[in-house]
Amino acid sequence: MANEKRPDPSQQFSEWITQWERSVDEFSNKLMGTDEFAKSLNQMQSMQLEFQKKMNEMMATQLANLNMPSREEVLRINEEVANLDRRLDRIERTLRQLVDHLSDASSTEKQKPSRTKTPPRTKKKPSEAS
Amino acid sequence: MSERLLSPTPGQMRDMMEKAIQRGTKGVKFINARAAEVGLTPKELIYDEGTLKLFHYLPQADEIYRIPVIIVMATTNKGYLFDLIPGQSMVEYLLQEGFDVYMIDWDPPQKREKGLRLEDYTHRFIPRCIEEVQRESGEDDVNIIGYCQGGVLSLIYASTHTDGPLQNLVCLTTPINFEEMGLTRTLSSEDHMDVDKMVDTLGIIPADFIEAGFEILRPAQKTAGQMRVWDQMWNDDFVRSYRAFNRWSEETLPLAGEYFRDCTKQLNWANGLYNGTVRVGGDVADLSNIKIPLMAVMAEHDHIATYGATKALMELVGSEDKTDLVLKGGHVSIIAGPNAVRRMWPAVNEWLGERSV
Repeated sequence: MANEKRPDPSQQFSEWITQWERSVDEFSNKLMGTDEFAKSLNQMQSMQLEFQKKMNEMMATQLANLNMPSREEVLRINEEVANLDRRLDRIERTLRQLVDHLSDASSTEKQKPSRTKTPPRTKKKPSEAS
Repeated sequence: MSERLLSPTPGQMRDMMEKAIQRGTKGVKFINARAAEVGLTPKELIYDEGTLKLFHYLPQADEIYRIPVIIVMATTNKGYLFDLIPGQSMVEYLLQEGFDVYMIDWDPPQKREKGLRLEDYTHRFIPRCIEEVQRESGEDDVNIIGYCQGGVLSLIYASTHTDGPLQNLVCLTTPINFEEMGLTRTLSSEDHMDVDKMVDTLGIIPADFIEAGFEILRPAQKTAGQMRVWDQMWNDDFVRSYRAFNRWSEETLPLAGEYFRDCTKQLNWANGLYNGTVRVGGDVADLSNIKIPLMAVMAEHDHIATYGATKALMELVGSEDKTDLVLKGGHVSIIAGPNAVRRMWPAVNEWLGERSV
């Protein structure tokens, strides 16, 4: 007797994606898992680094000749500004804490939950917990 | 027995049509939507130092456990994986279960931080944060939950600060035996990779490089994810979760060069955590020095910190009170996926709750 089955296109598509993902990942992992691949990937990266280094040096020299800041210098200024911002935040935070402390120390204490909790007596298996 | 496919019923046809219409209308919204809102649980920044951020999540229970818990996030990604969206947030769950939760999170290191070493993380950042937590909570003891590389840092800290305030340690998908790291190990082998040249040239290892390192392990994952979300576009919960996960995975962090060099040479090439040879701040990190209660959570299908790389912790650690939990799931879904909600969070809650009084 034939087993009659109605197709569920959504489920079929979902299963197909999973199979496709698995096969592509398996294939590429096999391909990339060889020493040859690792060697050529790292060689390529090394060449790219060399190129980047030379470009950076060249650009820095040219920008210096034009009396303009390099990317590094602009980034450094950006970081300094961000650091100043952080320092201001920190000062603001400290001041706020100080004001809170001075103005209403007792009520702040009251707001803190007590550190007296104990685990519930009735334990459930993790698998049973929802 | 043969199988005969029947044509879809009118009900199925109607369902398919409805989903197709919703795909169209919701798909337009999806494309134009702003970045997903993540990490919404109320928190305060209580300490920051360059790349380091220490957050205190505001308690949500009237009565909390005595010992505060610090989540140590992996240095490659943002900590909001633990606080993705309401209902899919381990932080929110722990707060509601009565924990006092802190998180060590990371910002991209600045150029001037390129010289940060492994020991800065394990012997300066973690102890400094623990001091802040002690000051903020008024408690001497602390517990730690370390995730992936955050677990590695926590283990190195724990094995070199054995008389410290750390009482219990939970390691989530923490790689120990780097020989078992599969493709990551092959691609970053010392025979091929010139880490010195990379660090000396770049200073800071760019986020793109780190992200490519993750993506190369599962090259089809991104495309498959996009196909899945198109298929499920009618399902608001699925789309909401996808957008949050997607935002998180695209926010990979760059790494300080010296730290990357240390990790590559000591952890990856020398397999130092497994062999007990990691040298930090004048100490040797020997996992057998750890005697405090320890829980290790591992994911069966983890493609980043493989099960083979994580399971070694149980044999190496010196603790008598040690528990392992192996769950179905991957490196990320184990923290915020369905199995995390069903099994991992309750298991950590139960294990840590008993030891937090």
